[in-house]
Amino acid sequence: MNTGELNGQYEVISPWAEVDPVPLRGISPRLTELPDKKIGIFRNFKPAAEEIAVTIEGMLKERFPAAEISWYHSNGPNVLETETEHKAEFEDWVKGIDAAVTVIGD
Amino acid sequence: MYTTIAIEDLGKPSVMLTDQDFIRDSGSAASSRGMPGLRVIHVPKSSGSGVMEKTETRIAKVFDDIITMLTEPLTAEEQSPKPMELEKPSRIIFKGDLEDVNRFLYRRGWADGLPVIPPTEKAVDEMLTGTDLDPAHIVAELLPRKGKATVEKIAVNAVMAGALPTHMPVLIAAVQALSEPASRYDSVHDNLGSWPPFWIINGPVRNDIRVNCGVGIFSPGDIANAAIGRAMGLIIRNIGGVRKGIEDAGEIGNPGKYSLVLGEHEEESPWDPLHMERGFEREDSTVTLSFPRMLTDTMASFFIEPKATGAGRILDTMAGAVQAANFTSFVLGPLTAKSLCKDGWTKEKIKEFISTNADLPSGPAPVSTGHSTTHQRPTLDPDGILIVVAGASNSASIHLLPGERIAPSYSPITKKFEPHNFITKKVELPKNWDELVKKYRNIVPVYAKY
Repeated sequence: MNTGELNGQYEVISPWAEVDPVPLRGISPRLTELPDKKIGIFRNFKPAAEEIAVTIEGMLKERFPAAEISWYHSNGPNVLETETEHKAEFEDWVKGIDAAVTVIGD
Repeated sequence: MYTTIAIEDLGKPSVMLTDQDFIRDSGSAASSRGMPGLRVIHVPKSSGSGVMEKTETRIAKVFDDIITMLTEPLTAEEQSPKPMELEKPSRIIFKGDLEDVNRFLYRRGWADGLPVIPPTEKAVDEMLTGTDLDPAHIVAELLPRKGKATVEKIAVNAVMAGALPTHMPVLIAAVQALSEPASRYDSVHDNLGSWPPFWIINGPVRNDIRVNCGVGIFSPGDIANAAIGRAMGLIIRNIGGVRKGIEDAGEIGNPGKYSLVLGEHEEESPWDPLHMERGFEREDSTVTLSFPRMLTDTMASFFIEPKATGAGRILDTMAGAVQAANFTSFVLGPLTAKSLCKDGWTKEKIKEFISTNADLPSGPAPVSTGHSTTHQRPTLDPDGILIVVAGASNSASIHLLPGERIAPSYSPITKKFEPHNFITKKVELPKNWDELVKKYRNIVPVYAKY
């Protein structure tokens, strides 16, 4: 490969690709308290996620006995549930909760 | 990560718990999806790997943080994140001598640890003679950064890897393969499991660019096998934006990420080559992509208490080597393939045999979607098995490259779960191909006599 070297000096082209800018958005307002809220627990398909999620559920029930827990689990890694065939089911689940803890186990 | 973002987009507060291994990757993923303020808690290594503290102990340490992250008011930055200053390097990025250039590219994280060829204007222009496509043409946008894989950027990385202009058509087809959702690249590039891309080249281009199909296919010493794989590694790094220790979270890593490329030894195969099996014409040239975990020689099991002889012994060895209902590639030495063919075994029949007789782990595997979980016994789909013939003409070897699970994954193109698959793309040659081959084909090692 002829690199066009001149007096031992090389002018090199960047190998780093350009990208389109991604529009940024903020996260949702937090709740003021949790005791009587409906808390969603989402877990992914990894075995450890279930164990962690079950543990969190137990601790939430202990800390907030009046809180309600609702589960959702997914089979896909790196998946945006709102763009899958489970979109409606997932959105209904989110509508029905006040806050969510998502557990991505490995 | 992405589902947590979806929950926030639907107006509900959330907090994500993930492994400490993903500390840097989760921040990168959240930013790349436009929500840098996402609240994430990293817990020590999970019990999935059977180590360390009990889950209760680990979660107890972060439980108050979970509550805080769901209730603590947002900061101004979390409400309205400031646009991140996107680095937009100038086209000519550096000037210096050979050592300076190499140090610069390495320090920027744009090299792979080995010296690179400086991608000068002249060298890139020469590389671009290997394609009729415009340098500005975008072949694909590669995850996770969604970097624009222009023909020029592919050529720049190809120069750095030491590739020849005649490798460009293969690299362009390989980038196309990488961008196919069914390749699983979207979920393996950042995986702890460190799966390297495995490239199989078929058709006349193998001989035109001297892809090694025979002795020592996986060993160093052939420009095509070495540089094509290396160039794709740099493309994944510099166009896809996969940074070691961040998006590439592989715990142990994999030497195959330097290069894992072979040509099928079609001339020594008793069967139709892989690309014909996958719907292409014999005179077509193709590149086929999959992501195996490792390369394993199965001969140890071949020699231990064989229950059968001849083809039966080979088949028992192949079926016995499969350890999970995952994508599985076999590289058979030509003698192995001929022995099977002589006894009437086609590739289809072999796949059926392996599917039926694979020694898979017993017990049901959980499969969950939405609210429900079902259990299925593991089965190995014959379509998840790939057989390719390669190696020395007198090779009676059987090599296994086990891959990832076959379960469907989400396709951002079709917006639904799609099966994973081996991906095969046709290599499109430029009009001046014969001249290029004439110019570069004679670059071969001539060993000293002693």
